[in-house]
Amino acid sequence: MTDPRTLLSKNVGESYLLLGNEAIARGAIEAGVRVVTTYPGTPSSEIADNLSRIAKEAGIYMEYSTNEIVAVEVAAGASLCGVRALSSMKHVGLNVASDALITLAYTGVRGGLVIVSADDPSCWSSQNEQDNRYYALLANLPCLEPSNSQEAKDWIVYAFDLSEKFELPVLFRTTTRVSHTLAPVELGMIHERSDHGRFVPEVKRFVMVPDFARIRHAVLIEKMKSIKELSEKSPLNKIVREGGKIGFVTSGASFNYTMEAIDILNIEASVLKIGLIHPFPEQLVKDFVKGFEEVFVVEELEPYIENAVRTSASALGLIRINGKSDGFLPRNGELSTSIVVKALAKSLGKPLPRNLVNEIPFEEIQKSLPSRPPILCPGCPHRASFYAMKKALKGAQINCTDIGCYALGVQAPLKIGDLLICMGASVGTACGMSKVQERPVVAIVGDSTFFHASIPGLINAVYNNHRTVLIVLDNYATAMTGFQPHPGTGFTGTGDRGKRVVIEEVAKGCGVELVEVVDPYDIKQTCDALKRAMEYPGPSVVVARQKCSLLAVQEKRRKGESVIPYKIVKDKCTNCLACVKVLGCPAIYLSNDMVMIDADTCTGCSVCAQVCPYKAIEISRMNQDESV
Amino acid sequence: MKAYNIVITGVGGQGVLLTAEILGNSALKEGYDVRVSEIHGMAQRGGSVVCDVRIGKRVYAPTTPDGMADVMLGLEPIETLRYLKFASPQTLIIMNTRSVKPVSVLMGAAKDLSLDDITQIINRYYDNAILIDAMQLAMKAGSPIVQNMVMLGVLASTEHLPININTLKESIKQLVSPRYFELNMMAFELGLKAGESYSSFKH
Repeated sequence: MTDPRTLLSKNVGESYLLLGNEAIARGAIEAGVRVVTTYPGTPSSEIADNLSRIAKEAGIYMEYSTNEIVAVEVAAGASLCGVRALSSMKHVGLNVASDALITLAYTGVRGGLVIVSADDPSCWSSQNEQDNRYYALLANLPCLEPSNSQEAKDWIVYAFDLSEKFELPVLFRTTTRVSHTLAPVELGMIHERSDHGRFVPEVKRFVMVPDFARIRHAVLIEKMKSIKELSEKSPLNKIVREGGKIGFVTSGASFNYTMEAIDILNIEASVLKIGLIHPFPEQLVKDFVKGFEEVFVVEELEPYIENAVRTSASALGLIRINGKSDGFLPRNGELSTSIVVKALAKSLGKPLPRNLVNEIPFEEIQKSLPSRPPILCPGCPHRASFYAMKKALKGAQINCTDIGCYALGVQAPLKIGDLLICMGASVGTACGMSKVQERPVVAIVGDSTFFHASIPGLINAVYNNHRTVLIVLDNYATAMTGFQPHPGTGFTGTGDRGKRVVIEEVAKGCGVELVEVVDPYDIKQTCDALKRAMEYPGPSVVVARQKCSLLAVQEKRRKGESVIPYKIVKDKCTNCLACVKVLGCPAIYLSNDMVMIDADTCTGCSVCAQVCPYKAIEISRMNQDESV
Repeated sequence: MKAYNIVITGVGGQGVLLTAEILGNSALKEGYDVRVSEIHGMAQRGGSVVCDVRIGKRVYAPTTPDGMADVMLGLEPIETLRYLKFASPQTLIIMNTRSVKPVSVLMGAAKDLSLDDITQIINRYYDNAILIDAMQLAMKAGSPIVQNMVMLGVLASTEHLPININTLKESIKQLVSPRYFELNMMAFELGLKAGESYSSFKH
């Protein structure tokens, strides 16, 4: 990992290897950002995570907000007082924030406000691969899309200036392959800005009652006309390669694949790279495509640029435009150099380079391999909770699960998870299911997800009396995205002690009458509580609280305490494999067909010992004590 | 100069990302353009991990085109096979022979592949393959967690890599926590020495 303090370096002109996300953080520092808010989500997390570690030194207020809309609102509040602010999130986070964003476009802002959306084509770590460039169209806001770390850094500064000049929030869209690629970044100068602002009321501008909103919509349209003129001449939209009879229009990560594909296939071509993708530079594109018989639009996901190019070129007569609609490129999944090379070779009737016609039957080889999906870690308390659920409820229930590490429970052998939609959807969907069918319904959320989006659903369950069990898996962290704090941890984003919001008290405050708190490592206690909750005639909540095993081990090591693993007692073990087959803990393995526990990875959670029908698993030290 | 492509594969927790960052930083120090691709999130939880390091005068894409890897550095045998589409018969394969069994295999839900099966596949299609027990050398250095440094050492020894050994050492010092520097450096040196015995791969 790059030392976050690198991002504060005053070595202007020096180059460092930075992730796209780190470059965005550096760009924000150079632009004098003073308020940074986020809700963590891959592939966006490192932007705010890095800033959280250096915020105090940089004079930045940084917070992990309860969810993305709150994050955008906090940043907007600061911006409306004249302070530069940034809010970062993953693509689906912008769905949550969109309600605020779309009306913010009407009110506009004062201090520069940049909203970063990190999209995830190919769903590397997401439930969908939506194309957030359409939010720029929907909200009618400027949108920038960098293709590498250097642009990410430079263009964030540009975005702040643009935002402030036109008093509009600016969208900054990246994708996984830009956010999570390390590339050289030459540092620029850090501009200091005040962290203190003042709110000057302007009722007709900021109070969006219908009469004023209608006027502000017209104002927004006028502002965007001016930015469109700017887009036509912006250095972010430029012809980077000239020649040949073929033209390429591309942007972001796709630009990189295009440049390499042109080289690999040895094509003479011109390339127009669009960096300021909304408002679209129609005239620039029109002038560019004019000279070509054939134009290729290379972009990931939806035909956003393609449609804009078709509109721009419509008056020019016959130019063949290749994009999504004619099947030149797929509308799903991320692109790669290989995909672009193959599509271009097919379209232009060129032979594929030798390396791409691989004579090795790698697909066959790949099919013969055992799969290795991400799994719950050794000692993960979610595994214990899921085991208890299976044991107590005997599979009678429907499991509406949610977004977080616990989504991995869907893998064998636990197989907990019948439905997963989006943050907090488990609770609402459980309500609906409970009304129309007989099987008991369980909603499963993590601690951070509980605060993010589950509380309105829980209140709905109470208010409308839905017979649902909400199981909150509280592991004291937003673990999946990198252990960020949340309201239930009592610590702020910059490590200060804040007020801890207690999940069971929130549940009681929402009107839930049966609320239980258990330690999932205590299987019997957890099973008993789950049974009571299931039998309860109204909504119930069970909080299964145990620290994330990765964090727990890390803490013990830091304090110099030892982690005491469990071990198999050979005399008692019948090799029935119950531990292996019901838990799927990666610390338990077979060696010469005999069950073993890996002392290096076992975290001493004791769950396997409770599961073993022959009491053949014991804590290591206990044995040693006995032998003394 | 055509980009020099290194594809590093392994299992979450084996240090694939750190190895890639060391290579990337070293390339930058030597004045190259460089791209290192990472996939975070789900991949960290014991899942399959692949990472590219692309070095050249000007590099655009973060990922290696199919069949264009110059080197495949496989920290785990099954994961080496999983990403063979990036290799061509000319690719140098450096593979750790120590496997990390997927949970699906441990539970008996998926068929295992023996090391013999794996080496047979490698030997059938590739002339340049270095198979090395990195675990043994890592234990000699002091811990199984430095298998990645052993593998990096082997790669550095082949002279295939357009990067100076001393630059790599500087980057290790810079990127590894000071507490574990000696351990990592020891593993790197052991890998270097082990790699030198495969002299047939020197140009």
